[in-house]
Amino acid sequence: MSVQNINVALIGNPNTGKTSVFNQLTGLNQQVGNYPGITVEKKMGFCKLPNNVKANILDLPGTYSLNASSMDESVVIELLLNKNDKLYPDVAVVVTDVENLKRNLLIYTQIKDLEIPTILVINMSDQMERKGISLDIPYLEEKLKTKIALVSSRKGLGINALKELIVSYKTLPNEPCLNASVIDPEYFEKLKHAFPNQLIYKLWLVITQDVNFSNLDRNEIRNTFTKSNSELKRLQQKETIKRYQFINDVLKEGLKVDASMAKDVRAKLDRVLTHKIWGYAIFFAILFLIFQSIFSWSAIPMDFIDSTFASLSSWAAEELPSGILTDLLSQGIIPGIGGVIIFIPQIAFLFLFISILEESGYMSRVVFLMDKIMRRFGLSGKSVVPLISGTACAIPAIMATRNIENWKERLITILVTPFTTCSARLPVYAIIISLVVPSQRVFGILNLQGLTLMFLYVLGFATAILSAYILNKVLKLQSKTYFVVEMPSYKLPLFKNVGINVVEKTKAFVVGAGKIILAISIILWFLASYGPGKEFNEAETIVKERFANTTLDEAQFENEVASQKLENSYIGLMGRAIEPAIEPLGYDWKIGIALISSFAAREVFVGTLATIYSVGDTENETTIKSKMQAEIHPETGEKVFNFATGISLLLFYAFAMQCASTLAITKKETNSWKWPAMQLVFMSGLAYFSALIAYQLLN
Amino acid sequence: MFQEIIAFAILGFAVAFLIRKFFWKSKKKKDCGNGTDCGCS
Repeated sequence: MSVQNINVALIGNPNTGKTSVFNQLTGLNQQVGNYPGITVEKKMGFCKLPNNVKANILDLPGTYSLNASSMDESVVIELLLNKNDKLYPDVAVVVTDVENLKRNLLIYTQIKDLEIPTILVINMSDQMERKGISLDIPYLEEKLKTKIALVSSRKGLGINALKELIVSYKTLPNEPCLNASVIDPEYFEKLKHAFPNQLIYKLWLVITQDVNFSNLDRNEIRNTFTKSNSELKRLQQKETIKRYQFINDVLKEGLKVDASMAKDVRAKLDRVLTHKIWGYAIFFAILFLIFQSIFSWSAIPMDFIDSTFASLSSWAAEELPSGILTDLLSQGIIPGIGGVIIFIPQIAFLFLFISILEESGYMSRVVFLMDKIMRRFGLSGKSVVPLISGTACAIPAIMATRNIENWKERLITILVTPFTTCSARLPVYAIIISLVVPSQRVFGILNLQGLTLMFLYVLGFATAILSAYILNKVLKLQSKTYFVVEMPSYKLPLFKNVGINVVEKTKAFVVGAGKIILAISIILWFLASYGPGKEFNEAETIVKERFANTTLDEAQFENEVASQKLENSYIGLMGRAIEPAIEPLGYDWKIGIALISSFAAREVFVGTLATIYSVGDTENETTIKSKMQAEIHPETGEKVFNFATGISLLLFYAFAMQCASTLAITKKETNSWKWPAMQLVFMSGLAYFSALIAYQLLN
Repeated sequence: MFQEIIAFAILGFAVAFLIRKFFWKSKKKKDCGNGTDCGCS
């Protein structure tokens, strides 16, 4: 029996648990690349269903209605109106929250009117008893002309029943909920007459939205059936009122809420968590706890990984047949891979905490809380989501700005988001902090290294909003704005969702960044192991001549030869070429190489230094950290990574725009090279001068 | 000799990978939304 493939679209308002339903249906069979919290674009997964049916599940961005006001909402409409799209759904699954059924049903009625087979999922059924809610499912099914799956995506209840309904989607009634003609009978009659083979509600959406469908051109229809924009808006409002009248009538009988039975603590919690003083205090306390934990808890696994890779390098050097491949393995590839793997614990812990905050419903309170502050700096409360998700990666965070309706606010958010400390900065911060900030306790309990890390995250965030303030004053773009945010119920985080998120994000770092780091480590090793001219090729003779009158033991001689070779290797020449520009910042030519190689992706910094110090290492230092710790400046005789250089480097990486992919996505989202060029110049300038000032003051 | 051939082949793969990553414009992949690899961490 052959496998039947069907497309299933998950649609619904934000915060209805749509992504949890998606996770329940697909498990780890997902192709995702989204930022935490909100689905920015389409997300695909697959699920095997009974009767040999394989469902391609599509998780669409949360949308309140089919009247799009932002870019991510347009994604839903474009798909539903385009039957030729290979992802066009065979069946739509509209996910609603039992507590917000009235509002959530608006989009359901619109999709029904497109005559797509539609299943209604009423989620969070486990909350019904606690909230005093009861539903008359047969009545609702009859009135809403569909089949209903009552599920709890958190507890995995009702998922099998939903799968059964998806399999039998062909038996679902196709009748619309609302006769579209009631919006304007005369106008719709003319439309029907002109396009007898087209669905009337689809035509209406094509007229009112920025989309085309089938072979019909939107402007062609609009020109034929002229109506002013204000008239169209008025009719849209009329449509919404008609739909809510229908929903009210249905819910009057189908939904009962007994307030006396509700044991709700939400209001009490909200009063504290969004309080004008306590709200901020609690938010900062939570941030503080997160960064303390990241440093304390990940120290043991990180040390273990570091020493394991150091042993592996030594083993390869000693046991494998000597030659160029063995050297490449022990000095280039193994330290390169180690430079990626070592940061898995910290990244996993960071996403563990972020996922828990989102899953619990607390993140929406943070968005609400920060809106008041954000507005003063020319941003929207919605900018908080990209800024927070920028802690993972600036690229999906910049894409997440698509749900900001106001162009000026969106542009400013795009420009300042790269200041947020992304996970690629974390390896740089972690290694530098552990080198230059003592691991001591403040007030007996606070870890100084953890405090420094938290300071850097706050610094990134503060720089982002200060830059936004400047941009708000400088950019002469006028537009009005409003802010609406959904406050989901508080929930205990679901282990499965948190787990999937942590695995996804950590995997994205290891696989995505890891491949780049490894490739650059390999190239760097070659550039550090080969060089032009006799300064490199005759290094031994030159050292012998230089120390002709001095007695050197074998180890000292090898050390001098290795230094001579590295300094005159291809990479050494590159590093020395930029040394005059970076010397005032406290960096030597080796750090200069790391700055060059990490221009495309900043996470390459640590791997680069690990490779360079492995090539030049004659002291037999093993771990990355000990190699960096042992590095001595040949002229001053002082440690290269001292306090002044460390702080200078931390500030440089906090501000510098060292991510080619971010520049590319900024160009894509703003449709101009002007804005990424401005980002690059402003951020690099700020990085250089702040690092310069810090080093000159501290040295 | 054998080690050199393998080592330089690895170098070739590394260079080709980075060129493809940063300079090759893929027509198929539009952005981060549909893939696991954003080109960043």
